Amino acid sequence: MLLRETVTQAIYSLAVNKLRSLLTIMGVAVGVFSIIAVMTALDAIDKSIESGLTSLGANTFQIQKNPATTFGSGHSRNLYANRKDISYQQALLFRKSMEEKSRNIGFMISSMANQAKYANLKTNPDVTITGGDENFSASSGYTVLFGRNLAESDIRYARNAVVLGSEVASTLFPSGENPQNKSLKINGKVYTVAGVFEKKGAAFGQSQDNFVLIPITRYLDHINEKSSLSITVEALSRKNYPLAIDHAIGAMRLARGLTVKDANDFEIRTNESLIDSFREIQLAIGTGAFIISFMALLTAGVGIMNIMLVSVTERTREIGIRKSVGAPRRTILRQFLLEALFLSLVGGVIGTITGTTIGNVVALQLNLPLIFPWLWITVSMVVCSAIGMAFGLFPAWKAANLDPVEALRPK
Amino acid sequence: MQTPSIITMQSLSKFYEMGDQTVRALDSINLDFRKNDYTAIMGPSGSGKSTLMNILGCLDTPTSGIYELNGQDVATMDDDELARIRNKEIGFVFQTFNLLPRLNCLRNVELPLIYAGVAPEEREERASKALINVGLGDRIKHKPAELSGGQIQRVAIARALINNPSIILADEPTGNLDTTTSHDIMNIFGKLSEAGNTIILITHEEDIAHYTRRMIRLRDGKIESDVRR
Repeated sequence: MLLRETVTQAIYSLAVNKLRSLLTIMGVAVGVFSIIAVMTALDAIDKSIESGLTSLGANTFQIQKNPATTFGSGHSRNLYANRKDISYQQALLFRKSMEEKSRNIGFMISSMANQAKYANLKTNPDVTITGGDENFSASSGYTVLFGRNLAESDIRYARNAVVLGSEVASTLFPSGENPQNKSLKINGKVYTVAGVFEKKGAAFGQSQDNFVLIPITRYLDHINEKSSLSITVEALSRKNYPLAIDHAIGAMRLARGLTVKDANDFEIRTNESLIDSFREIQLAIGTGAFIISFMALLTAGVGIMNIMLVSVTERTREIGIRKSVGAPRRTILRQFLLEALFLSLVGGVIGTITGTTIGNVVALQLNLPLIFPWLWITVSMVVCSAIGMAFGLFPAWKAANLDPVEALRPK
Repeated sequence: MQTPSIITMQSLSKFYEMGDQTVRALDSINLDFRKNDYTAIMGPSGSGKSTLMNILGCLDTPTSGIYELNGQDVATMDDDELARIRNKEIGFVFQTFNLLPRLNCLRNVELPLIYAGVAPEEREERASKALINVGLGDRIKHKPAELSGGQIQRVAIARALINNPSIILADEPTGNLDTTTSHDIMNIFGKLSEAGNTIILITHEEDIAHYTRRMIRLRDGKIESDVRR
């Protein structure tokens, strides 16, 4: 029998039981939807990873107490929690021994959720205060739009100078008034504006301009003296980069007073290591989503089998009639298998379309690029087909092997 | 000169196991059907006529014995070979009509041609012709539910004839019809017989059997009488 007739028959039979077919299709659609939506969102994040996570400048690495993300058991978490903070004194020692071997060694420390006020204007209480030095802007990729950057003397004398991020500046000085040398209050303390940074834009939906930069010495004096610094170091050249990291580890061990037996109690973060640790999260979410979605698809498969078994029972007479006029077993098998396949594939297509749409809506919310996850669409379709075939096979086999005499017997 | 045999059955038996009892539905019967025979098979219920009909129609296979249809040994065929024989050699007409309710007359009549692998255009043409021949040219696109019992049975006859089968096998074809309609249907069978078709009719109604030229009576799985007129 021609394939076209089989396909027509399959679609026709499903169309007769619209609600039933639709409900079965929904089961598959939900499973595929969850795979595609999660994978679309993850792929979108992945696409922006290179730009979003390369917050460090070229040939630059960072030294911090803790890694960017921690995974695994409580043991490793405790290990990090027990590490001593990187103090300003240690940082100064480090800089001293690294001065020859690198450049632009910057210190940085941040606290979130602060509020800045100027005259009767105020920001939301979500401003980040960053304590830094004159090298901060260079190593973090900020340029001064007008006014000046922090100077070495600001750091040395712990002056109350502040450089505003563009978002803070536009909130407090909305009419384009020159903020330079104006006094404003941050968390109730007075600072004098030295300059304003150029807008950097958002990464992962998070503004990078909603912050203020004050001298790190002032930060330690006035905001929090017990906090751990992060140190940015720029290698002298690309070629020199691995060597600079080795030197930095040595210098840091010295500054932290570690003996030969002690392990490093600090982490080196590079752009690559940031991306790696993000990839780790991505993999975990992706694997989890896939496993859960696969379970959902298995459940949907059981639904398909159930509905196909009902269908075979209901259509026993039809099968008998078809057999009596000469339908061979393989044709009946193919007809029912196609119906099962059709149910799962339509579900797959619906799931793919809604999943891609919702995934991309989420991506848009996070200012991420639009994505069409071909790989996952292919995987979903293959898994769908396999499930349709696997769960449709038994009912189809049952139909194909019905005894025509039994099937035609009047009920 | 005698016309050649289309069907030869020799010491054909069909036994069923019912618990620890063996039911001899057909007990070593010998039968011969020649081309253009018009036969009625009669008998009370339980006489084995349904079993004989199922075996004649290649829906079932005998427990033992020889069944040759058009020179082919049917008794030993597997399911798919039997399906092919049903498609090519046998046209069924059932008491309960057995049309597919969701398909219109044309689609029902062309069904055997689909399984025979005939191209769509030719199928439609042949099915339309067959429906015109049974006087339903104006009902081609109607579904069975929109037709009367007599009309439905005529659709079934059109379907039985569509693939030019060697035998037409009618199982109580008038069992669900009123007297007038029954006679209309029997007239169609009469014309088919005149046109040279081989027809086997299973019935328990004497007046229906009298339309035929040969009457076989079954009792307890054996042939009680076989009379040609």
